[in-house]
Amino acid sequence: MMIIYIITACDTESMAQSWQVDRLRVLAVAATPAEPRPGDLVTFDALILSPAVPVGGSAWFVCSASASSEFGCEIDTSSLSGASADEIDFAALQAAGLIGYLPDLPPVWLVPPDFLDALPEADRLEGTFAMTYITAFPEVEEGAEVAEEDVEIAYKRVPVSLAQTPNRNPGFAGWSVDGFPVADGATVRLDPAQAYTIEARLADDAVETYTFRTEAGKDEERTEEPYLSWYLQEGSFDQTNTLYPFDEVVYFAPDQPTLKSQALWVVIRDRRGGMGWGTLNLSFDVTEVAERQRALRR
Amino acid sequence: MIGLFLPLAFFSAQAQSPTDSPPTPEAVAQDLPPLLVEPALLDFVQAPYPTQAEAEQREGSVRLLIEIDEAGVVTRVEVLEPAGFGFDEAATEAAKAFRFTPAQDATGPVPVAIEFAYGFVLDRAKVEGAAPDTAAVEADAPVTLEGSIVEMGTRRPLPDHLVRIDVLNLETQTDAEGRWSFRGVAPGAYTLRVVHPGYDTLEKRVEVVAGSVTNARLWVRNQSYADPGILGTYRRETDDVTRRTISMEEARRIPGTFGDPIRVVQNLPGAARAPLGSGLLIIRGSNPEDSRVYVDGMYIPYIYHLGGFESVINPDLIDSVDYLPGGYGPHYGRSTGGTVDATTRRRFPERNEVRWSTDALDSGGLWLGSVGKNNQHGFGVAARASYIDLILPAFLDEDGFSVAPRWWDFQAKYQYQGDRPDKFSALAFGFRDTLLVSTPTGYAQGTDADTQGDIATDYSTYRFGGTWDRAWGKQWSAHVAPSFGSDEAALDIGNSFRLIQTRYTGEVRGEVRYEHDEHLAVVGGLDAIFGWAAFEVQLPFNPAQFAEIDPLAEREPYSLTGTATGWGPDPWVRATWKPLADPDALALNGGLRMMYVIIPDENEVLAFDPRFSFRWQATGTTALKGSTGLYHQPPQPFQSYRPDDKPAEVGAEQSWASSIGIEQEIGPAVRVELEGFYKDLTDLIVSNSSFGTLDDSYYVNTGVGRAYGIETIVRHEPVGNFFGWLSYTLSRSERQDRPGEDWYLFDYDQTHILTAVGSYRLPYDLSVGAKVQYTTGNPSTPYSLGVYDVDQDTYSAFPSGAYNSERLPPFWAVSVRIDKLFTFKSWQLLLYVDLINAFHGDNPEFEQYNYDYTEKTYFKGLPFIPSPGVEAKVEF
Repeated sequence: MMIIYIITACDTESMAQSWQVDRLRVLAVAATPAEPRPGDLVTFDALILSPAVPVGGSAWFVCSASASSEFGCEIDTSSLSGASADEIDFAALQAAGLIGYLPDLPPVWLVPPDFLDALPEADRLEGTFAMTYITAFPEVEEGAEVAEEDVEIAYKRVPVSLAQTPNRNPGFAGWSVDGFPVADGATVRLDPAQAYTIEARLADDAVETYTFRTEAGKDEERTEEPYLSWYLQEGSFDQTNTLYPFDEVVYFAPDQPTLKSQALWVVIRDRRGGMGWGTLNLSFDVTEVAERQRALRR
Repeated sequence: MIGLFLPLAFFSAQAQSPTDSPPTPEAVAQDLPPLLVEPALLDFVQAPYPTQAEAEQREGSVRLLIEIDEAGVVTRVEVLEPAGFGFDEAATEAAKAFRFTPAQDATGPVPVAIEFAYGFVLDRAKVEGAAPDTAAVEADAPVTLEGSIVEMGTRRPLPDHLVRIDVLNLETQTDAEGRWSFRGVAPGAYTLRVVHPGYDTLEKRVEVVAGSVTNARLWVRNQSYADPGILGTYRRETDDVTRRTISMEEARRIPGTFGDPIRVVQNLPGAARAPLGSGLLIIRGSNPEDSRVYVDGMYIPYIYHLGGFESVINPDLIDSVDYLPGGYGPHYGRSTGGTVDATTRRRFPERNEVRWSTDALDSGGLWLGSVGKNNQHGFGVAARASYIDLILPAFLDEDGFSVAPRWWDFQAKYQYQGDRPDKFSALAFGFRDTLLVSTPTGYAQGTDADTQGDIATDYSTYRFGGTWDRAWGKQWSAHVAPSFGSDEAALDIGNSFRLIQTRYTGEVRGEVRYEHDEHLAVVGGLDAIFGWAAFEVQLPFNPAQFAEIDPLAEREPYSLTGTATGWGPDPWVRATWKPLADPDALALNGGLRMMYVIIPDENEVLAFDPRFSFRWQATGTTALKGSTGLYHQPPQPFQSYRPDDKPAEVGAEQSWASSIGIEQEIGPAVRVELEGFYKDLTDLIVSNSSFGTLDDSYYVNTGVGRAYGIETIVRHEPVGNFFGWLSYTLSRSERQDRPGEDWYLFDYDQTHILTAVGSYRLPYDLSVGAKVQYTTGNPSTPYSLGVYDVDQDTYSAFPSGAYNSERLPPFWAVSVRIDKLFTFKSWQLLLYVDLINAFHGDNPEFEQYNYDYTEKTYFKGLPFIPSPGVEAKVEF
């Protein structure tokens, strides 16, 4: 009996779930190129969502692996202490690693040409990484302060190497809903309380084959093993992660949607630092729902 | 109206068949170690029938507790259950003049305390005024009425039982085989009456027919089918000043333990509550791995089946379990925590006894018996298998996932029970546990491609051991216990992770005892161990990548195989000196143990453990005791191993443990103990904070700790119909991993541990028990929010307070157990239900945070679980 209890009692559904987007979230960050070489210019894109309040912006920092901890970059913020927005020393922030401030300053990072110099020659094919540190915050009224719990902090590694076949971000080709193809970003109208099979279609070249040189110096041809993370606003999935080549889930639409327009998202991680994502907008015609309910009651 | 009295204690002067058979006391003490020879009554003294009772035509039975010394002399008699009307005084005075043969255990004669029912019954013929029909009896006539007396349920022949024909004023006693007979009883109808203390009085109508012998088999019902030999108290002086022994009678009836005696230990003072019934032994603030469990002296690394619900030894094969939370002598070692020593049966029944039991977890059988001349070869075999894997699917969703825990175990024991001076025993046992977690195709097992697939764990242990005991005169004796066995553990996760460890272990525990006189005894011994281990590790990545903390790094499969040998002789010596004229007044124990563990080319650990203890019997009922000593524990094998073939840099952990306490006897069955303890822990093995590459040792001996507290127990021994205890521990245990760092609470530190256990045997073979438990919640570390690792799709938690700076809410629960024994002519059936957590609090076991650490809930303890069980028993 106790074994049964232990196996069946692991229930945390009363708390917010990671696959449910109900607050400000940074779901994905992509660097382009995904695996730069020293001297390359890297741009960033992010999937930042905030269903309740518009996203106010995000600050972007970068640091080397040695200057990072398990919580991202260890940034010297002394230059920010006590300073008003007008008094912030932008140069000091850049020295601390600031590379962008959305929506005004898109994040861009120039990989220092000497970034790999500290590594032995043999290790430069594998390289090392830089840490990107993102602080996203919601829109607030003029003069108001952002509450700490409303801020989302995330970090992402950017591999820097001299790899023979540098990584690329996996491309996303679109959706399939119950077998019908749907373009990325399109809107589909669904019925409440119904189950739908949602497929995330990866681009043909999303799963890469690349060369890896082993510790023994032998070159190996390897193929990526990406996985997909699924997110939504209301309803549920039969599983929230799938591993390629399994790229579909069953989506259970909410019984009584509280939002007429919703979305679900999928994030593709190639486990080498490359990232891509897609958005499927959902429409629940509340009027039609009410009509159906009335018809049932009659 | 003057009635003759008939003492119901088997020895009537008027018996037709005089007997010199010993009594079978209802309750013979059994404790540490088990008795090999029970006391036998040599001289029964007949008490005068109390005048008042005689005048009022009253009968009665007085339940006595009789203490007997090593010479068989009665030293103390107390009334446990009075009968009044003068019976108590008469029985007490008579019992003081009893003389017994001494009880013996493996060390020789020992003092014991037994229960004894002294019964008084009036002579019916006299009372009723019926004149004996002497014409119906011819003294030298042939047998005309005969038969036997058999116990219902067990079919056990009952010797020394009185059979009466009241109208003829005839009586006789059964012989050793339970047979009885009357001569010359004239034809006619008669009522046979069987009276015996502890048994229902039986009256049966029989008819004697001319020219033939009437045969009657009389089935009498025992008023209590408690196992003989396990009730009562038994106390013996020992150098382990804090040794608490649980008899199987207690273990079986304590709620919430599945009748498992080793789990019962968790309800004694000094033992913290194990999380979620895990069975972890957390004794006096020590880590679970710091305490050791032995079975007949054999160290058992895995003592529990999956989930920690029950131990791997069939409880019916265990005689008793000793629990030593600290202060033990040098004969135990290689651990800094407590010790649990389970002793298997050393006496087996003369008749075959077969049991079959089934509970919520498993089902199994047991066969006990004796063969050979004078039943000198005792044996017991047992086996169990779980069936939880067959039940589980009914509780899981039909979505393709499956969980299949399975286990089985077996035990076989041989015991020489004859009269030769050399005593032998042999024990073989083994078990295997497997757990398979399957995930359907297409479902992700986490997000790592290398963890996809089934998860399988498999561990097993096999042991074979023996004992040899011999005494030469009264001064010299020896005990040797060699054993050999294997342990294997395997873990497979998907197709990429595989860990296998196989270990063969040989042990020889032996000691030679010299008892100069009753004031001085010296014991020298060895606790030698030899081990050979092979291991295989397959990982999808090189462990060196851990040091770089780069989850995006390319993985290279890693495999490692190896073997290792290790051994340690661990000699020890102990002396007990009793300096006062009364040798029982003061005992001083001093000992020294050498711990020497050698793992060639890897590690070598040498330590000396001096230990001292005393016990002062200040009064007849009050004793003071204390201990102090060093305890060393070698590193775990994985802590010693270095993949780069460098010598290990970790040494032994050390504990300097001291205790002081008092024992107070209150009445014949109640004892109170109060004990304070302090442990200074040094050289604790912790992770190396400067570990960067595989060139660094991952473990270092920089940790220190301290544990201190007071523990008390008020215990009512299993005498009479009740047993139970109230135990309370107030303690604190702390650790510091590295010099200069903050101290923090030990992970399982529980300030208050309160346990009340009680069980009462009601009429009609019904017993009811309850357990109440309250403990402080375990320490916990608070977290406030998390930082999202985009690459791994996980959040890293920000601690908002120091490690273990908060606590979970307290735990409390009440469990109830009800047992009912049904007795049929030739077999018995025990039904029971364990109402686990019949009443309980929320009982958080640990905290669960949501994905980004902004919300928190608790994984709560077990809910109310009714756990029924059944056991059938037959003797033949």
